Amino acid sequence: MSKTKAPQAKRGPLHFIGIVLALVILFAYFALPFVHQPERGASTVAVVTESKKANELKLFKTGVELIPLAALGVLLLGMWNVASPAASRPISLLMSVAGLLAIVFYINFFRATPFGSPDDWVQGAILGSLGSAFWIMLAAGLLCVAQIAIPRSASAGRYRLTKIFGNQESVILFGLLLLIFFIGIANPRYLQERNISDILQGNAYIAVAALGMTMVIVTGNIDISVGSLVGLLAVISGRLVVAGAPSPLAWLAPLFVGAAIGAFIGFLVAYLRIPSIVVTLGMLSIIKGVLIIWTAGERVTDMPADYYLSQTRPLGIPMPIIIMVVLTIVVVLWMRYSATGRAFYALGGNAEAARLSGLSQKRLLMTVFTLNGIFVGIASVMYSTQFQIIQVTPPPALELSIITASVVGGVSILGGTGTAIGSTLATLLLNFIRSAMIFINVSPFWLKAVQGLLILATVLADLIRRRRQRV
Amino acid sequence: MDTSLTAPRNPTASEKLRRLLISQEGVLFLIMLVSVLVLATRTDKFLTLDNLLQQGRFMAEIGLIAIPMTYIIITGGIDLSVGSILGLTAIVLGWTWQELGFPLELAILTGILSGTLAGFVNGLFIVRVGVPPLIMTLATLALYRGLAEGISEARSARGYPEWFFELGQGELLGIPTQLWLLIVAVLVFGVVLARMRLGRALYAIGNNETGARFSGLTVNRHLLFIYTFSGFMSAIAGYIFVSRVSTTRSDMGTGVELDVIAAVVLGGTSIFGGTGSIPGTIIGVVLIQLLKNGLALSGVTSDATIVVIGSVLIFAILVNNYIQSRSEE
Repeated sequence: MSKTKAPQAKRGPLHFIGIVLALVILFAYFALPFVHQPERGASTVAVVTESKKANELKLFKTGVELIPLAALGVLLLGMWNVASPAASRPISLLMSVAGLLAIVFYINFFRATPFGSPDDWVQGAILGSLGSAFWIMLAAGLLCVAQIAIPRSASAGRYRLTKIFGNQESVILFGLLLLIFFIGIANPRYLQERNISDILQGNAYIAVAALGMTMVIVTGNIDISVGSLVGLLAVISGRLVVAGAPSPLAWLAPLFVGAAIGAFIGFLVAYLRIPSIVVTLGMLSIIKGVLIIWTAGERVTDMPADYYLSQTRPLGIPMPIIIMVVLTIVVVLWMRYSATGRAFYALGGNAEAARLSGLSQKRLLMTVFTLNGIFVGIASVMYSTQFQIIQVTPPPALELSIITASVVGGVSILGGTGTAIGSTLATLLLNFIRSAMIFINVSPFWLKAVQGLLILATVLADLIRRRRQRV
Repeated sequence: MDTSLTAPRNPTASEKLRRLLISQEGVLFLIMLVSVLVLATRTDKFLTLDNLLQQGRFMAEIGLIAIPMTYIIITGGIDLSVGSILGLTAIVLGWTWQELGFPLELAILTGILSGTLAGFVNGLFIVRVGVPPLIMTLATLALYRGLAEGISEARSARGYPEWFFELGQGELLGIPTQLWLLIVAVLVFGVVLARMRLGRALYAIGNNETGARFSGLTVNRHLLFIYTFSGFMSAIAGYIFVSRVSTTRSDMGTGVELDVIAAVVLGGTSIFGGTGSIPGTIIGVVLIQLLKNGLALSGVTSDATIVVIGSVLIFAILVNNYIQSRSEE
């Protein structure tokens, strides 16, 4: 930590914006329950049942919100000072920690306060934690916006902020928070635990598949056969367990088959030097054809009760969310710190330089495609254990969703850049958007158009950001 | 492929033949001949003039889109939105005619114009803003399909007058109308690519974009043109599609982009840019269509057919890679 004497804090536009933002938050926070009376909410799309209605706005009615608000203020000030050039770092960190602690306390306060029946108690705890999580995320999002307001001259604060927030991942995170914020104001039901958990659970498998895709794209390749591969592996898993294999075996089999198919693709790309887009275009047809011939279009049903991995909730958290989060963290760390992970970036950034530095391109390509196969295998198990039946046709254009997630998440299609966290965030963003459309009453026919526009907006935001950083 | 650049002296006839045989087009043509012969022995319904002409009808849409796709891939780009542009054109055509009450001629024109505009937008963002083609067209793949769905709200338009079907279902001198269109387009744009400045410039861009820029080529204008051209041809294909199937739906042309890219790549155009030709692409289109049809006629299910096509795609590139690497030695 360099102790360069920063210029005396100028209470300039920066500070002013900070105050305005805080006031906006305050206003939004208190205006929320009045803007949206339950009667008005009823006119929007009814997604939740009547019985849940009574609970939905409890978060804003209890009056306890003053505690998280104060905590939020402290936290925000603390984080703000970390970023601002003139701050004393220890004090700022202390403030941040204090703010966080207060918020955790607030959550626990809700947990410990019975509302009457145990059902209400749980509901209150969920709403409480959800509410504070929302504001914490919003604060982080606002910090992201703040970087835009910071003058272009390379102040220490700007440098530090750019370093932390000036990347595609933050842009996406910010987009996500902005979306949640505005849709949440328009229709508070959007923020309900059930809706958010549905979005997360239902699409976690896409995020996992996108992790493998991210690695492939980082090396400068692509795999467009993943959609049909998910379908094939899901059916393999389902048929195995129906045929009497124990569930753990049925969960593991797709991983091995996926690895084998991935290795085959890797072999064609690495040793026979066929461009990956061509190989996987061919594999897309082959796998799809094999799948339909083999199953004759019959879906798989009657799996034993212990097969539904995705429906389990260890520690009360749905399994798909756990898998998604854990794998994302593992992949981020692995790609960042392991020799092979770094080699992927090297290969994608400059294949010739990578070769000259003694990296074996062939082995790396084999590795990355095999790994991708394994991730597709995991994704297919998450997909196949999700519902009571396994459709033989995976969601149409699944490969496009997966590639879109990776690309929007900041993976340059030319290879060499991108992280796993970005692809997971992008998966979430795309699906939160999809769900948001329903909650703000956009005709479902326009869903895809809006989604396309938003992909475009994300990419443009990224391009503009990169240009500004180059200055 | 233009060999005159690499061979200063006049090659002898046998050398010429050898060059032709080991070129991607030559190899592919042989594969096509072999598969036609094999298929012809499997069923006597395959190698008849009627059947082949009928196949020409189905081929026209893919073929028309494959021409600009070849141009684009030669420059090192890609256009994934062609299927969506096809769908958008079809919907605009049907919607302006049925809902807005345009005369059908004007509706066709509006449809084709909107498809062209869609391609132009792709090009504009790629050239002016610098969005990579794959990402741009991935976004517009969703966007244009979404517009088609939004405008049509899943309603289909039908009940077109008789003359409208002429292009998609009619015949001219015994040959399907759209096949004439395809033949003319192939001849014109094949010559443009192989012999004219515009075409040669595309190769230059694909081989070394920076180099092309410094050589004074108007790279941006060329790129903008080919993406607009791609939109225009997809729009024409959309019009033919509607005319052929007599109805308009918003999901028309879903997945066409993969068929087209498969045909182009099969035809020897390198996905990295810099090489490729229209004859190769057309052989690719024909080969895929004949395989689909021949296998179906010999009693193979359509699902097994796509397995065969996928294998042929990989196999053809494999054989070609092998031959090219041998001939380089």
